[in-house]
Amino acid sequence: MAPKSNAGKEKLIGNEDEVLQAVILADSFNKRFRPLTTRKPRCLLPICNAPLLDWTFESLALAGVQEIFVICRSHPEQIKEKIAESRWSKPGSGIKIVPILTAKETFSPGDAMRDIYTRGLVTGDFVLVMGDLVSNIRIDEVVKVHKERRKTNKDAIMTMVVKESGAKHRTRSSSESAIFALDSETSECLHYQPVMGYPPADVASVPRQVLVDHPDVEIRNDFIDCSIDICSVEVPSLFQDNFDYLDIRRDFVHGVLTSDLLMKNIYCYVAKEGYAARVQDTKSYEAISKDILSRWTFPLVPDNNHPAGHLYEHRRGNKYIDKDGTVILARTSTVGNKCLIGSSTEISDNAQIIASVIGQNCFIGAGAIIDNSYIFDDTMIGPGCVIERSIIGSGVDIKENTRVDKGSLIGDDVVIGPNVHLEAFGRLSRKRDPAGDEDGDEDEYTDSEEEEVEASQESIAIDLGSASNAIFWPPSAPDEDEDEDNVENFKNQRFMRLGDSASDLAFSDSGSESSDEASDSSDEDSELDTHLGTLPTSSATSLSLDAPGGSSSDATAEFQREVKLSLERAFAEGHSLDNASVELKTLRMASNVPLSRVREAVVSAIVDQIKIIEGGGVPQRQEIANVITRWGPLINKIGGIDAVETISVLQAHCASSERLLLFGQILAALYQDDIVEENDIREWHGSPTSQGLGLPAGTLRTENMKKCWAVGSRMIQQFDEQDEEDDSDDGESEDGRWGRRGRRGRR
Amino acid sequence: MASDPQSAANQRIVEDLVSRLRRRQVVGSRATALETLLVLRQVVSKARFSNIDQLVNVIRSVGRRLVEAQPKEHSVGNTVRKVLHHIREEYHTASEPPAIETSFSIAKFVLQGQPRRQTTIPRSETRVPLKENDPDDPDSFARVLKPVLMEAIQDVFDELETVYDNISKNAKDHIHSDEIILTLGMSTTVQSFLKAAAHYRNYTVIVAETAPSYGGREMAKSLSSAGISTFLVPDSSIYALMSRVNKVILGAHAILANGGMFATSGSLLAATAARSYSTPVVVCAGQFKLTPLWNLYHEYGALDFGDPSAVLGFEEGDLVDKVDVVNPYYDYVQPELLDVFITNYGDHPPSSIYRLLKETYDDEDNEL
Repeated sequence: MAPKSNAGKEKLIGNEDEVLQAVILADSFNKRFRPLTTRKPRCLLPICNAPLLDWTFESLALAGVQEIFVICRSHPEQIKEKIAESRWSKPGSGIKIVPILTAKETFSPGDAMRDIYTRGLVTGDFVLVMGDLVSNIRIDEVVKVHKERRKTNKDAIMTMVVKESGAKHRTRSSSESAIFALDSETSECLHYQPVMGYPPADVASVPRQVLVDHPDVEIRNDFIDCSIDICSVEVPSLFQDNFDYLDIRRDFVHGVLTSDLLMKNIYCYVAKEGYAARVQDTKSYEAISKDILSRWTFPLVPDNNHPAGHLYEHRRGNKYIDKDGTVILARTSTVGNKCLIGSSTEISDNAQIIASVIGQNCFIGAGAIIDNSYIFDDTMIGPGCVIERSIIGSGVDIKENTRVDKGSLIGDDVVIGPNVHLEAFGRLSRKRDPAGDEDGDEDEYTDSEEEEVEASQESIAIDLGSASNAIFWPPSAPDEDEDEDNVENFKNQRFMRLGDSASDLAFSDSGSESSDEASDSSDEDSELDTHLGTLPTSSATSLSLDAPGGSSSDATAEFQREVKLSLERAFAEGHSLDNASVELKTLRMASNVPLSRVREAVVSAIVDQIKIIEGGGVPQRQEIANVITRWGPLINKIGGIDAVETISVLQAHCASSERLLLFGQILAALYQDDIVEENDIREWHGSPTSQGLGLPAGTLRTENMKKCWAVGSRMIQQFDEQDEEDDSDDGESEDGRWGRRGRRGRR
Repeated sequence: MASDPQSAANQRIVEDLVSRLRRRQVVGSRATALETLLVLRQVVSKARFSNIDQLVNVIRSVGRRLVEAQPKEHSVGNTVRKVLHHIREEYHTASEPPAIETSFSIAKFVLQGQPRRQTTIPRSETRVPLKENDPDDPDSFARVLKPVLMEAIQDVFDELETVYDNISKNAKDHIHSDEIILTLGMSTTVQSFLKAAAHYRNYTVIVAETAPSYGGREMAKSLSSAGISTFLVPDSSIYALMSRVNKVILGAHAILANGGMFATSGSLLAATAARSYSTPVVVCAGQFKLTPLWNLYHEYGALDFGDPSAVLGFEEGDLVDKVDVVNPYYDYVQPELLDVFITNYGDHPPSSIYRLLKETYDDEDNEL
C-alpha cells in the first residue's frame, strides 16, 4: 500500500502508548435534587436532553481519556445499563468504561477514594471528576502540565482545574465556593478556604507563613471550581491514611495544605479557555442549561456534538429543534430564544415556550406557557397550564389549567391537576405502589426520607387535584440544632435552589457578629486577615498585618508546659536533635498553636537550661557555648527559620528572667553557631519592639528590654568597627570569612 | 458488504474521524478534505465488492456518516462526491471500449493554450476483461479495478496537495504593480496567492483584523515577513479605506451552486463596501470547495455559530446572564457581490459555477 495510507493507522496506535485513566464519582452524596432523584441517580438526569453522565463522558473523551472507572453507589443497575447501551461501549469509541459498584456505606467522596485505593484501580496519574461535569477544557493539556511538574517536584500530588469567572457569575455556586490563595508565579495553591452562602463569611484568614514564603500571592474569590482534579497515585492512599477525610475540597485539600507533616503540594490550573462547570444543585442546573444553549460550551452544543447523539437544527436566536422532522409546532405557537425541543414533541396552538428545554415525546397543550423550565421526556402538559422556572421529571402528566410556581421540582410519573396551584418551591413525587414489590430490591435504595414524607401526608392539606398520585414533600424547616458549618444547612441550601435568589440572606447578618469574629481571630493566632466585606471580588481585598500578640490562654500555657517537660527530658536523656524536633512538631499538632509559640517555648527552655555560674567569666561562657552548640540548631528545626523573631523571643525571655545578664553572651553564642546572622541582629535592633516601645514604660520588664537592646547596640558597634577594620584590611577573604575574624576581635 | 473484521477496522477509522469532526478537532476545509480522503482510501482498499454498485454504496454510506457528523464542513461531502465521480469514470473507461473524448469542458476551454498536465496522459494499461458478478471468483472484479481506483484517489490527493501552487500560478496576472489590495482573515490560499504575486510585482496589502478570530493579524504578520508592504487595520475602517483599494481578494469556506460563497465573517462587509465603490472582488479557492448545495434559509448568515467567549469573556458574569452573545463563523456572500473565482482549474465568473459543478460531480451524488 502507499505509505500515506498507513499514516492514519499509526496515529491511532501511537495514542495508545500511555493510557490516561479517569475516575468518575457518579454519586452526588447529597440530596439536593430530591425528589427527582428518588428513583434515578443524579448522573442520569438529563440536561439539554442528554444524561449528565454522557456529558461527562464526552468531556473526558475530548481530552483523550482512554479508560474510565465509574464509581456508582445509588441505583447502580441503571447506571450500568445506561453505560452498556450508550455509544461509548460500542467498538470504535476508543474508550473503555468500567462501572464499579461501591458499598452502600459509602457516604462521601472520601469513602469512594478509599474504595479506589483498596481496589487498586489506578496505576498512574489519573483524572478525577464528578459525574455531573460539563466541560470542554482540554484536560490533556492539564495532565501534561501536571506530569511535567511531577518530574521536578515529586510532592506535587494534585492539580485542581479552576475557571475564572466573576464573583457573581450565574454558573458560580454561591453556596459552595472557595477562596484560593495562589502563588502568582507557579500557581501553587497555598491556602484554601471554603466559602458558603450562609453563614456568610467576610474574613479570609491566610496563614502568615504563606506570605513569608511566597513574595507574590494572589487571593482569588472569583473561581468556578470545576472539580476536575489531576491526581497522582498517592492521592487515594492519602485518603486511606486519613480516614476522617470526607470531602475532597474541604477536608483533603485543606488537610494537605495545612499539614506540616505531609509536605505535599497542590497546584491549580487556571483555565483561560474553555468551559467547565458542575451541576451541583438545581440552581447550577439552570445556569448550565443556559450556558449550553447559549453555546458557551462550544463545540459541545446540541447542534454539533450532542452527547446523546441527537441531531438538532440550530435556528437563529439559539433555538434548537430536532432535525428528524417529527416535531410538530402549531402555527400559532411561539418558541422564544434559547429553547431546545426534542423529537416527536408536539406543541399546540397558542402555546408559548420561553427559554426552556423540552424533552422527547412531550405534549404541550393549547395556550400553555412554559417559562424557563426544564421538562424531561414523555411528559404531558395540559392546556392552559403555566409552568415557571421549574424542573418537571419524565412521564409527568400535568392536567389542564394547573399552575406551577417557580422553583418547583416534580418527580417522575407524577399526575397532578386539573385546576390546582402548586406554590413556589413545591416538591412532588409519585406515591409508591402499595403492593409495590416488583422492584422490591430497589427499595433498599429509597431511604427513610421518602417514607417519612409519605407518613406525613395526612397532616398536609394541599389539593393536588382529583386524579393525582402525588405526595407532597413539605418544605424542609430550619433545624434548631443544625450545625451551621455543614454545607447542607438549611439556609445555605437556599442558595442552591432553582429560582431562589436568597436575597434576604445575602445581605443580612453581616453585621456585628462577623466583625467580632474578625478581631477574635486576629488576636488569637497572629494570622493575616483579609477583610472582604461580604466577599465582593478578588480585587477589593485589603491586607492588614497583625503583629504577634502576647496572649497566654490556657491552651498556650499548657502547651508551653508540655514543651518544657519534653525538652527537659530531651536534655536529660541526650536525645538527638531530630527526635526532639519531631516530638515538638507532634506536640504542636496536638495543641494546634502557631509556630511563634513553639519558638518561644523552645528558646526559653534552652535558655533556662543554661546554668548560671557564679562569678561569670570564662566558665560561664563555656557553659553557654556548650548548651547552644548542642541545642541551638533545634530552634531552626521546628519549622520555619526566622532568626529575627528568635532574637526578639530571646530578648523577651531574658528580660523577664534572672538570666538577663547572659543575653549578650547567648546572642554571641547563637551568632557564633550561625543560628543568627549579623543582618538579623541589625534588623532586630532596628525594629521598634526590640527597644521596648509599646510596652508600659517604667516597669521592670521594659527596663530590662532596654538593657538587652543596649547590649545589642554594643554588638552592632563592634560589627561596625570590624567592618572598618576589614575595609582597611586588604580583603583577602570573602564575606563569609570575616565573620570568624570578627569573633576573634570580640574576644 | 459482508461484516468481516476488515469492515470492523474500517468502522473504526470512520468513527475516529467522525468523532474528531464532531469535536471540531479537525477544522478548515482543506484539512477536512485531506482527512476524508485518507479515510476513503482506506475504505476502498479494504472493501470487498463484486460490482460497481456495491462499491458506490460502501463509499456513500461512509460519506453520509461523515457528512452527518459535521454538515458545516462542506468539503467533506465534496471530497466524497469527487471520489465517487472519479471511481465511476475509471469504471467506465475500464469497462467500455475507448471512445474519443468529445465532451465539451469549460474548464478546458478556459485553459486552452496553457500547457498543463490536463493534456490527458494516454493510459496504456493492458486491458484485462472486466467481469462483474463473477460467480466463480467474486473478488476478480475488485482485484482488477482496485489499482485503478487507488490511482484515481491518488489523483484527488495530488490535486489537494498542489492546490495552492496551482491557484497562485496566475497571481501575477491578477495583481499589478502599485496596486492596493484589501484582504481579511487568515486564508492559506490567499496568503500563498499574494506571496506568489510578490515575486513579480510591488504592491501594498491592507489586512483587516477580522474580529473576533483576529486571523487578520496572523495574515498581516506572515505577509509582511514575506516582504510585502502590509497595513493592519480594524474592521470598522474597511468602508473608509475602500475608495483607495484597487481590488478585494477573499478566501472562501465553500463555494455554493449559485456562485455565492460562505466565507469568514466580515467578508460580506468587505464585499458590500467594494460593491458601492465598484471595486472588483476576487475569490481564491481550491476546487474542492465547490459545493452542489444552495443556501436556502438565510440571506446573510451561514448559520454556523461558534463559542461566544471570543466576543464576550465568560468572566463577565453579570453580562453573561443578561446578554445573548453570538459569534457567527461565516458570512454568506451573494454571487452578485463577487466578480471572479480563481481556482486551481482556471478563473470562473460566479455565473458559470454551475457548469463547473456538473463537470466535477455526478448529479446523483448531490444528495448523499
